[in-house]
Amino acid sequence: MAPSLSTPLLQLQQLTTARNFLTDITWSCQAGELTAVIGPSGGGKSSLIRLINRLEDPSDGQILLAGQDIRELPPPLLRQRVGMMLQKAFMFEGTVLDNLQQPFRYRKEALPGAEHPNLLRSIGLARLSPDYLQRDARTLSGGEQQRVNLARALINRPELLLLDEPTSALDRPTTDSLGQTLLEICRSEGLAVIMVTHDLRLARRISDQTIYLEAGRIVEAGKTAELFARPQSEDLRTFLAEPEEQEA
Amino acid sequence: MSDKTLLHLNLIQLVYAYALILLSVSLARFRQIGQERQMLWASIRMVVQLLAVGYLLQLVFTVRSPLMVILILLTMTGFSLQVMGSRIKRRMPHFYRIMGSSIMIGCGGVTFYFCLLVVGYTPWYDPRYLIPLAGMIIGNSMNGASLAAERLTSEMRERHDELETALCLGATARQAAEPALRTAYRAALIPTMNTMAATGIVALPGMMTGQILSGTEPMLAVRYQIAIMCAITASVAITAFLILLQGYRGYFTQADQLRNTP
Repeated sequence: MAPSLSTPLLQLQQLTTARNFLTDITWSCQAGELTAVIGPSGGGKSSLIRLINRLEDPSDGQILLAGQDIRELPPPLLRQRVGMMLQKAFMFEGTVLDNLQQPFRYRKEALPGAEHPNLLRSIGLARLSPDYLQRDARTLSGGEQQRVNLARALINRPELLLLDEPTSALDRPTTDSLGQTLLEICRSEGLAVIMVTHDLRLARRISDQTIYLEAGRIVEAGKTAELFARPQSEDLRTFLAEPEEQEA
Repeated sequence: MSDKTLLHLNLIQLVYAYALILLSVSLARFRQIGQERQMLWASIRMVVQLLAVGYLLQLVFTVRSPLMVILILLTMTGFSLQVMGSRIKRRMPHFYRIMGSSIMIGCGGVTFYFCLLVVGYTPWYDPRYLIPLAGMIIGNSMNGASLAAERLTSEMRERHDELETALCLGATARQAAEPALRTAYRAALIPTMNTMAATGIVALPGMMTGQILSGTEPMLAVRYQIAIMCAITASVAITAFLILLQGYRGYFTQADQLRNTP
């Protein structure tokens, strides 16, 4: 299923959603690339990534994963290939291990034990110590839960990972450390990541590409360094000049 | 039923009974609860409705037409739907279709199984058995059915984050909804289980009391009561099961997406 060099891992083609909330979104990304989606609240950032694992469907346009229309894949299979971390890290009842085993329960596969290589790899990538495996997931701190959330999303070995405001509930040091983790996974695993964020500092520090979305349209998109250094549109210039919501 | 022990109630005796209502109304008036008129009105409705049902049943018992009996059963189902619909504020998608079909299959199936196999009378539509038994089964299942429906709605709302997380991890709609369905089914069954456990100690069931009052031997009345309790339990279990089985689907699209529901 590895895409050839010429085929982007993900292609969004003229996506439009009901009542034109998102309009004419066209964009693509490659394996191993980290993309940040920024823009004012209510501009459609979350709606955009929810289309990519089919939590919602566009009214028009199509999405190709490694060249294949995602509507041709059974949704549970698509969601294994396109992992997603929702804004709120929901923990199922039980231990961290129980939470990591959850996708295997859905697939009716044998549950990996605490020593299973795939499980150790996921918690290693998420920088979570194996000591956590037997702890009650619901008693962990916000930052720890977000790491469990990340490990759980990685355990399906997705090709693409979608993150909806992964750091919104975290303090600065925890955000920085999680951001660093994401970047490392992206590089070492060849995983493509699309991250919706309010945190411009984080976006600028770790992403390769940035999409600036306002009122459901892509106003500007391109290499992060360029986009931040030389914003072309007045809207983006104004947005970048405003103090960050998180730091306000 | 032996007529020897059956005590008839004449109109004078009913008037004595109604005097108890007047006593209650005057107590309410003494405390000035401001509801005396409504109380009186409710008591009049009770008398009129019951008399009307009595005449209707007498008519049906003499006509003995299967069509008429079926019509009455359908009307009873319709009324139970109306009562449940008005009692539940937040209704799941396709509420009436799901509740109607579940009650018809759950309560209807158990009623006919009970009448034909357990009691085993002929003809199958004999209104003297079919109507009161169906009434008891539907009436007692309504509680479990509304609990299942109500609980499913609240669980699906409260578990929104859990449902989306499960879908994101590759669960099907059914797998994602499983914990909500489990909780709702448990909630629907608990009152019936409690009733079974308390029967005979805390309360003497209405049907058994009625049979004993009208002259049936206590042991026979008890056997009937055991049989009807079994039927009610099965009817609640089947009806609630069907409601949940159909109900959760309304919260998801064909592509295992969570729908926006009110």
